[in-house]
Amino acid sequence: MQGNSQQQAYDRGTNIFSPDGRLYQVEYAREAVKRGSPTVGVRFEDGVVFVAGGRLRSSLQVAESIEKIHKADDHVGVASAGHVADARQLVDVARRQAQVERLRYSEPADIESLTKEVTGYIQEFTQAGGARPFGAALLVGGVDDGGTPRLFETDPSGTPYEWEAVAIGGNADQIQGHLEAEYEAGIDAEAALELALRALEDANEGGGLNAEGMSAAVVDDDGFRELSPDELSDTIAGHSLDDEPEE
Amino acid sequence: MDGFTSGKGATDGAPEELKTGTTTVGIVADDGVVLATDRRASLGGRFVSNKSADKIIEVHPEAAITISGGVGDGQTFADQLRAQSSLYETRRGEDMSMEALASAAANAIRGMRVVPLLGGVDSEGPRLFELDPLGGKMEDTYGSTGSGMQMAYGVLEGGYEDDLTMDEAEEVALDAIEAASARDTASGNGAMVARITEEGIDTEEIDAEEI
Repeated sequence: MQGNSQQQAYDRGTNIFSPDGRLYQVEYAREAVKRGSPTVGVRFEDGVVFVAGGRLRSSLQVAESIEKIHKADDHVGVASAGHVADARQLVDVARRQAQVERLRYSEPADIESLTKEVTGYIQEFTQAGGARPFGAALLVGGVDDGGTPRLFETDPSGTPYEWEAVAIGGNADQIQGHLEAEYEAGIDAEAALELALRALEDANEGGGLNAEGMSAAVVDDDGFRELSPDELSDTIAGHSLDDEPEE
Repeated sequence: MDGFTSGKGATDGAPEELKTGTTTVGIVADDGVVLATDRRASLGGRFVSNKSADKIIEVHPEAAITISGGVGDGQTFADQLRAQSSLYETRRGEDMSMEALASAAANAIRGMRVVPLLGGVDSEGPRLFELDPLGGKMEDTYGSTGSGMQMAYGVLEGGYEDDLTMDEAEEVALDAIEAASARDTASGNGAMVARITEEGIDTEEIDAEEI
């Protein structure tokens, strides 16, 4: 037993490498992200759309209490996959940092620096003793001061990645496959929203999408805007992606 | 809290401090609040260092402050309040009430050498607050701060009535600034006026001859 626990010590702390150079706790955190429902981000000509999947645990649960897409500042949205509680902490880091940038420079934070502030924060939890890495991945997307749309992913190691279209969370690989096959540069907001919904539906094995528990938002020159539940379910039904059985 | 409230006053008794000197006025009217200030900034009230100072600063889409006292503290205070109101609304997804904004302002202002008026409109209607460097917060329907306040108050006491229209309130406010500019050496160089309604803030600069 003693020998066994010695052997697995690198598995226990976030700040301990395994003999082959891996950080197991960070890899386990990535697994935690995969266990959640998927979240998709798509960059379009003037902005970024987010769509988050999700499911109500009970007919008594209030749908709006499932929060996976958040406004970080007027021009930035953050969508999450994985542990929601962990993600909420990171969202607040982004919100505070967005205001700090405005205070410091009297201009809105650009999406890349804001993402890197958040990933810097995430990274500290993979190196400090006694800490646990964040079990959440984020999509940080918005429009820079010059009007350029940007979309970034943060993962539990604290690495930032930039994407044109990306899926995180459960079924991410399959959704990403759909995005890779269907994404076209220069599409408009409507087409980007449709692509995100189709990719989610595709990964649902043709089971259709149920707007309850899902959420969607658009960030463009007019700022961050979350779709109302009716708007989202109408859009889903409009593309015949809903899970209502055919009459 | 959040790193926005580290307000720290300038060195005590610095003789060359950049001051607004200043006369600022605020009046609650039927559909909103009118704020007005003069435009002079001075060094210790004895040298005109700027003739087009902006002493009305937006801190929210429907709220603004006038600043009187240290220019640096006034600007920093306004920046911090803007960051706080923006963060409040981003976190909660709802508008910040004037009551909440005034309380946040009174907490943030402690130790700063600035005496602002805070005016704004929320779902309850137009509100005006006088703030002070020790964290005081008093609501009123009209008020004035700055070295020209005695002259301004004289005009306000004669001209203010309940339920003034926005145009009438603007006229009284500008009369008050004009009276103060005529007799207070640290006030002058025209005026700035802001009309705050639920539609937002409309700011105008007015030359000395046109008041």
